[in-house]
Amino acid sequence: MDILKKLTRKSRIKSPWLLHFDCGSCNGCDIEVLACLTPVYDIERFGIINVGNPKHADLLLVTGTVNHRNKKVLVNLAEQMPEPKIVVALGSCGLSGGVFREAYNVIGGVDKIIPVDVYVPGCPPKPEAIIDGVVTGLEKFSKKKDG
Amino acid sequence: MLNTILFVLILGPFIAGALCFIIRSGHVRSFIVLAMGCLIATASIILFIKGPFSHTPPPLLGIPTHFLVLWGDDLLLFVMLYFAFKHGHLFTKILIIFQIVCLDYFELFMVDHTENFPLFFADNLSLIMVLIISIVGSLICVFAIPYMNKHEEHQGLKKSRQPKFFAFLVVIIGAMNGLVLSNNIIFMYMFFEITTLGSFMLISHDQNETAINNAVRALWMNCVAGAAFIIAMIWAYVIQGTVDAQKLIQAGHMGGIMLTPLALLCFAAMVKAAQIPFQSWLLGAMVAPTPTSALLHSSTMVKAGVYIALRFAPGYAGTFLSQSLAVSGAFAFLATSAMAIRESNGKKVLAYSTIGNLGLIFACAGINTPEAITAGILLIIFHAFSKALLFLCVGDIEQHIGSRDIEVMRGLYARMPRTTLIAVLGIVTMMLPPFGVLLSKWMAIEAASKHLFVILPLAVGSAMMVVYWARWAGILLSAPHGLKVEPEKQGLLTRFPLLVLVWGAVVLSLCAPLVYSKLVVPILSAPSFSIRAGIFENPTGTFLFYPVMLILALGFIYAVYAAKKARKARLSGPYLCGAQTTDPESFEGPMKKPVAVLSGAIYFESIFGNQKLTVWVNIFGGMLLALLVGGSL
Amino acid sequence: MIKGIIMVFIGVFVAPLLGGLIAGVDRRLTAWFQSRYGPPVWQPFFDVIKLFGKERMVVNRWLVFCAHVYITAAMLSVVLFFLQSDLLLILFVQAVGAIFLVIGALSTTSPYSQLGANRELIQILTYEPLIILAFVGIYLVTGSFRISEILVQTKPLLVSLPLLYIALCYALTIKLRKSPFDFSTSHHAHQELVKGFLTEYSGPYLALVEIGHWYEVVLILGLCSLFWATSWIGIIALVGVTYFCEILIDNVTARLTWRWMLGYVWPMGLAMGFVNLIWLHGR
Repeated sequence: MDILKKLTRKSRIKSPWLLHFDCGSCNGCDIEVLACLTPVYDIERFGIINVGNPKHADLLLVTGTVNHRNKKVLVNLAEQMPEPKIVVALGSCGLSGGVFREAYNVIGGVDKIIPVDVYVPGCPPKPEAIIDGVVTGLEKFSKKKDG
Repeated sequence: MLNTILFVLILGPFIAGALCFIIRSGHVRSFIVLAMGCLIATASIILFIKGPFSHTPPPLLGIPTHFLVLWGDDLLLFVMLYFAFKHGHLFTKILIIFQIVCLDYFELFMVDHTENFPLFFADNLSLIMVLIISIVGSLICVFAIPYMNKHEEHQGLKKSRQPKFFAFLVVIIGAMNGLVLSNNIIFMYMFFEITTLGSFMLISHDQNETAINNAVRALWMNCVAGAAFIIAMIWAYVIQGTVDAQKLIQAGHMGGIMLTPLALLCFAAMVKAAQIPFQSWLLGAMVAPTPTSALLHSSTMVKAGVYIALRFAPGYAGTFLSQSLAVSGAFAFLATSAMAIRESNGKKVLAYSTIGNLGLIFACAGINTPEAITAGILLIIFHAFSKALLFLCVGDIEQHIGSRDIEVMRGLYARMPRTTLIAVLGIVTMMLPPFGVLLSKWMAIEAASKHLFVILPLAVGSAMMVVYWARWAGILLSAPHGLKVEPEKQGLLTRFPLLVLVWGAVVLSLCAPLVYSKLVVPILSAPSFSIRAGIFENPTGTFLFYPVMLILALGFIYAVYAAKKARKARLSGPYLCGAQTTDPESFEGPMKKPVAVLSGAIYFESIFGNQKLTVWVNIFGGMLLALLVGGSL
Repeated sequence: MIKGIIMVFIGVFVAPLLGGLIAGVDRRLTAWFQSRYGPPVWQPFFDVIKLFGKERMVVNRWLVFCAHVYITAAMLSVVLFFLQSDLLLILFVQAVGAIFLVIGALSTTSPYSQLGANRELIQILTYEPLIILAFVGIYLVTGSFRISEILVQTKPLLVSLPLLYIALCYALTIKLRKSPFDFSTSHHAHQELVKGFLTEYSGPYLALVEIGHWYEVVLILGLCSLFWATSWIGIIALVGVTYFCEILIDNVTARLTWRWMLGYVWPMGLAMGFVNLIWLHGR
């Protein structure tokens, strides 16, 4: 049984499927996320696939600030992801609300709504930083309990 | 003994019908129908156990039987003529008068009534038909008892029309039994006509404009069949001087001179079985209460058509007629599948699928090899059960939800889990292995493989068939998640027929090798398959019936177990881009208002959806029929 | 008997491993075409093992039921193939799985899943007649639907059935979920109408569907191999070239509508198949 568990853990690290949710960002971070998928960075070599469906995803990549309108969507998406899952907040806005944090409609960073595992700073973060953040998140899988 | 059984099977329903008509009490009528159902079902089983026979019963009440038939025929035709006049349909009048004149001249001046031959003849084909008619037919009658009460409640009639309805419902069963058992083709013709009149009365039952129009259409189309039948009968008598069906079949096509009567018989059979371009009468029959459609579609009436085609199949083996019958049957299969795929009306889907399956049986009769005949007979058996079941389910559903539209049945599992599961099982028995209908389709495809113009429509048609069945089954199950499903209430008389039919469909499929070796093999000139350990095998192919069934059943049981185990799994709403409200079936729209999630199936309107398709299909079907009759002149 | 058991063993255990490996190679080749590095070839196995380790989450329990029936049927069809059974029977058993998968997708109220299921039905509608015609062609050459009869042929079937092989390739492209016919669910476009009819299958149930698909890939390539079954080199060459072409087509074509697919594949495929059948019949 132990070997099976080990294998599962290893597979989790080897095959993170990510769901990218734009929580009201300026699209700067989003473009960088897409850049990761291009042949130059090719995150598929880590087994990462950009899926469009929380039910298939292991990793929720959130860009942008959270506001009162879209917080529900964020919660819903996070809820519809089966355990174990990792949440990565991207960019200044995702971390804290960034330059918009004072706005009347903005709640702030992602962690005000759902627990975040990895923070990737930058405005926008470089693709290398995003990949680094995701890979750091993968190590957290081994600490999460089995679903 | 035999006399009594024949009396019960053929005249019993007539007597029950008369009683239903005379005694106007609902309870007594229910009792009569139930008693008759039990009686003829038992009688059919006894008859089946006794095995094939040929027999002439003693004259009834001392009157020679042929007089009874003549009077019966005349009475019948004059009743039909009365309706033709009542509804002022010229073509029907002409057809009926033609039939009266021909029949009387034929019976009074041509036929030698002293000719000695058995009036009744039954081989396994007839016995199978009797079993199906008596058992499935009786179950439908039983289902009709509560159904018709509710039906009339909906209509709010002052005076119940049920006596007449039940009278004709049971009479059709008797007539069908008579048709499949008689060896004298004049008898056959009489019973053939009784089913015509019966279907006319049943279709017109609701007495509204559509019902009457459709009934009149059914009448004239079936009168065309009757006229073709009578010409065929006289023609055959002129050539051979006998009305003994067995002699006619054994004589074969006699170097071609017997082909025309045989072609006319096939033509009559195809009209009766609502083949293209005569499909509209069977579709029109959908306006009638559901038991009518169930009875006409599954066990009786249309099966009279395929029975005649299969019965006379040895007579036209290896002729052009046989080939054109195969092609027009296959064409009907293709065309009706294409029409069914665009329908969202559940009953129409069933109707088209019936016509398609009958087309397949005609194609089998036309291919005329032992394999094909096997496929045809098996298809008759399995189709009767599954189709009756589906019709009754749709009837029951319609009474609950007030619609027969497939889109309205979306998520029916949440409201009527029992009926839905039975209906889905019915659908599965219609299209998937290892159930009987698919087994027969496998045989049909393997038998048709040498006939290019048959195999192409079969290949395309069966794919379409899969689409409309799967779509329907899925839609029935598409229930909102996490809902507590409460089994609905079903009356005993509703549930009993449904359960018997669904078990019948499943168990009969389980016993398919037995059904084949015990029932079908004795009819065939040479056994088409060898059966070893439930494996159908012949030089063309192998159907690992029991092995496949065993493994699929194991998988099925494990799947049920896994689904049960998934009770512990976390429930989550369907994916709606994260925008769902607290009710997972709606998402948050503008102004924070919930918007219900809607989705519909694709009905291919852009490809199969226009009326022109029907026109072209009818023209082409008509041409094929013309080829069938004309080619044998 | 022993041979039969070995064949069953191959069908049940080796086939999915092979199918997973093929899927890995497919991804690697695709990456190469797109001048990427690509995941390791055993990536599909990681994916599936990970999926099995995930939390069980369902919309309703019909999905669970249908996923299990699907994998049973897919497995059974491959086993029947290795047992050299009847081609039509294999097709029908395979259809059980395909249809239950669709029924499962239809059983949810999710619009993505529903739409994907309807499109999948159209795909079934498109490929089934072609496969039946190809089998009929095989029958006309060998006089039987049994695979065992094909294997005793001395001349490759491809010689008598070239057009039907092309028609079959159309069907197989659909069945393999390759572009331009991958609109019910796609391997690459993971976000197009949100994964089509697989939207609501998740975790272990998605893993079952994935393994079922591996079985189907093996079955499909097996069917291709029948057309040059006279020598091992022939089998490898034919299957290799065919699959390479499939991946190439997958990468160079765009997805179009189902109307286009039906309107293109049916006339082309059925016409080619029928012409081929006519000349076989004429012999």
